[in-house]
Amino acid sequence: MRQKRLLRWQDRALLTLSALLLLLLIFRIETATAQEDQWGLEFQGDGGSQRSLAINTEMQVTITGLVARIDVTQAFRNGGRGWSEAIYRFPLPDGSAVDRMTVQVGTRILVSEIQEKRDARRQYQQAKSSGKVTILLEQQRANQFETRLANIGPNEEITVSISFLARVDYRDGSFSLRIPMTFTPRWDRGAPAILSGFFNETSPVPTVMTVFGTGAGPNDHYLDLNIDLRTGLKLASLESRYHDVDIQPSLNGYTIYLADPDTRTDRVFELTWTPDFGTSPESTLMTFDDGDAVYAMLMLAPPLAEAIRPQPREVVFIVDTSGSMAGVSLTQAKAALMQGLDYLGEDDRFNLIHFNSDSHLLFPQSMPLYTPYLLEAEAFIDDLVANGGTNMAPALDMALNLPLQAGLLRQVVFITDGSVGNEGELLLQIGEELRDSRLFTVSIGSAPNSWFMRKAAEIGRGNHTHIGRLNEVEESMSRLWSRIQNPAIKNICVDWGMEAEFYPEIVPDLYAGEPLWLYARLPFQPVEVTICGELEGRPWELSSTVLPGVGNENLATLWARSKIEALEDSRIFGEDPGFIRDAVTDLALEFGLLTPYTSMVAVDATPSRPQGETLNSEEIPNLLPAGSSATTASFSQTATGWVAQLMLSFITLLIATCMLLLSPLSRKGGARPPMTGEKGSGSINQAERIIVAHRAFLD
Amino acid sequence: MKQTRHWLQAAALFTAAFFSLLYLVSALWIPAKAELAQWLIERSWQQAQQGNENARPWPWADTRAVGVLSVPGLGIRQIILEGNSGRNLAFGPVLLDGEVGHDLVISGHRDTHFHFLKDLEAGDRLIVQTLDRTQQYRVIASEIVDSRTAELVIEPGTSRISLVTCYPFDAPLAGGPLRYVVTALPVADRLSLAAIGQVRPTAAKP
Repeated sequence: MRQKRLLRWQDRALLTLSALLLLLLIFRIETATAQEDQWGLEFQGDGGSQRSLAINTEMQVTITGLVARIDVTQAFRNGGRGWSEAIYRFPLPDGSAVDRMTVQVGTRILVSEIQEKRDARRQYQQAKSSGKVTILLEQQRANQFETRLANIGPNEEITVSISFLARVDYRDGSFSLRIPMTFTPRWDRGAPAILSGFFNETSPVPTVMTVFGTGAGPNDHYLDLNIDLRTGLKLASLESRYHDVDIQPSLNGYTIYLADPDTRTDRVFELTWTPDFGTSPESTLMTFDDGDAVYAMLMLAPPLAEAIRPQPREVVFIVDTSGSMAGVSLTQAKAALMQGLDYLGEDDRFNLIHFNSDSHLLFPQSMPLYTPYLLEAEAFIDDLVANGGTNMAPALDMALNLPLQAGLLRQVVFITDGSVGNEGELLLQIGEELRDSRLFTVSIGSAPNSWFMRKAAEIGRGNHTHIGRLNEVEESMSRLWSRIQNPAIKNICVDWGMEAEFYPEIVPDLYAGEPLWLYARLPFQPVEVTICGELEGRPWELSSTVLPGVGNENLATLWARSKIEALEDSRIFGEDPGFIRDAVTDLALEFGLLTPYTSMVAVDATPSRPQGETLNSEEIPNLLPAGSSATTASFSQTATGWVAQLMLSFITLLIATCMLLLSPLSRKGGARPPMTGEKGSGSINQAERIIVAHRAFLD
Repeated sequence: MKQTRHWLQAAALFTAAFFSLLYLVSALWIPAKAELAQWLIERSWQQAQQGNENARPWPWADTRAVGVLSVPGLGIRQIILEGNSGRNLAFGPVLLDGEVGHDLVISGHRDTHFHFLKDLEAGDRLIVQTLDRTQQYRVIASEIVDSRTAELVIEPGTSRISLVTCYPFDAPLAGGPLRYVVTALPVADRLSLAAIGQVRPTAAKP
């Protein structure tokens, strides 16, 4: 019994305290070493980043007539030792109809199904946690998509193929196909679109932060592209604007390859071809009968109108000088502005606005073309510096609400890369403030937000021009000018000869050389479609007959896609979001389309990741757009943690004090008879006396 | 038996006292060093302004003063050091070097020099004085970003300043992934003055 009493409560407490002290010591060493290697800031050059996941992209494009079928294959490679989940955001062409996705794991091929976003996410999460290979494809914005691929094993490669339809563009007698490859960085320090807290111009749309890096690994972000152009026509020209390509004639057209095997996904791809015949078609009508209904696509491209003395105009240029325009983009914008001034007619008036976080107006009201004003404008353009955030709304407001000048048609030419987060709000503003003005958008740079630019022009009843490179400025601006100068065909009506559901429902003004696309669902096969309108006050008419044997099932998909777009657009004008969601979801599930409310998900049958292994998530960065002068740097460790150390020292001090209180020295003191008032004896030192006093106080 | 126990207890007591003192000194040494170093650096900055551009704060220092950051509204005046390394961060805010042009990035510790960032608000004025110029800035934004998924985009063609520190400000432990970024843009540059018509008179109609 006596032995057991050896460990009295004081001893136990002492032991506990010692253990605690030991733990604290270890903890202190841990935090100190953890800090060491995180310190310092590094520039990440080529191959600088240490990611374990790599991605390479392969595109197979088949162009038939006015429709392109594109298969994008993303190969995700996990070079690390652990299991990974890859997250990758990427852009697709405007108005793409994504309708298929397959995944290849080893020799197995998984086919995705379309589901409501919520259900798809749930299925993905379940498969992810049970260790199965699974993939989720979601649409985040009009032209922004995200793939999530879970359970990629160590040193494993999984390929994801996404298939979609895109429309071939046709303008001024030339066809073109644009495929974007990267984004303009939306996360830009100081760009109001992403500010948190300080400003009221903060984006109402939750902005998804896209990760950018210059640090593509040595085996990363490569692009392989292969185009099968099936055109029955002899071509006058065929060229790729931003990439070197090899072209070979094939059985039913041409095959186009990238010439440089080192091509990366850092710029838009654009292919342009012009058929070798003098007069271009004014309209094309093709149909597809699926048994239940007939789907039709109608393209209208009126030739340039007869020279009519153009109406004098008031042209207001708005130029974006936010930070994301720095570098080549601003140089292009300046050149476009200078070019724009040259095109003005002698009865025209003009004005200039530049904006970043603030907007600046050159003249309080638009001025005629007198030399002093022109010189002032040129100096204004010369002085532009790219700097700060992108606060578009006040600039648009300023332009659309300038004092009206009698007899002048106001045309606003808006030059920007369109990297904004509050697109919907801006579009609504344009719709509300436009009145009789017309808005023409000019997008700049290698990764403009062309969805926004196109929509803005659509709502602004003008049109959209893109300038990808400095040497295109003159060509693009002269094209824009021929549109601006020539009168448009207004009040367009379409007679299908029967009840028809067609989109867009409100047919926009038709500009010379700028085609119009309509998609319709009809009860039976049309014979002839008549289009009427008004040109400079006089009636105008055109009719079109069906091109036999060209249409295929893609027309149904494209019709559904344009109906979805029309539904989405009605949100801008106040349609009930719940109604839109339901209508779009139903349509998307019926036609198997990816939309903001429906996602594609595929799940492997058997788990591949063993139960015990953990899964790491990694976001694959996008390349910075080529031509943007930006570089990136990682963050340094900017805390010393001295407060924690101080707290630690107090805790140890506390422990030491407790130990002192419990130690035999103080216990000895406590065993003595009460010594209140007793003068210090030699055997008790100062500390002991304090402790004794303390204990007496506590008793 | 009893003797051994006393010895052990004494040893534990001594260890506890020793470490608590050690921690106390090493913890307090950090803010003390941060404060003291600024005094020494101040002297080398004075020398640098008088033409001795390579003046070192102390003979063995591997950094030099490159400018002064001041916030008149908060009574802050700090010398900026060259070279973004952990060692330099202990002595003062540091300037990110590289191809940055006028897009300056200055980092500082959240619990020493850059603690004041939490008091900066949109509209506050900053002044950065370097050897060749003095520029006034206006704070336009503060953001919290995750350093695991984001990188700083640097655009050499842009004139702006970003102050970077760790976040949250009062977390006791160092090493968290969040960063607090304050962005400021130059004020009163020629362009904006011209545009609001203070410099350039609006021409009368001919």
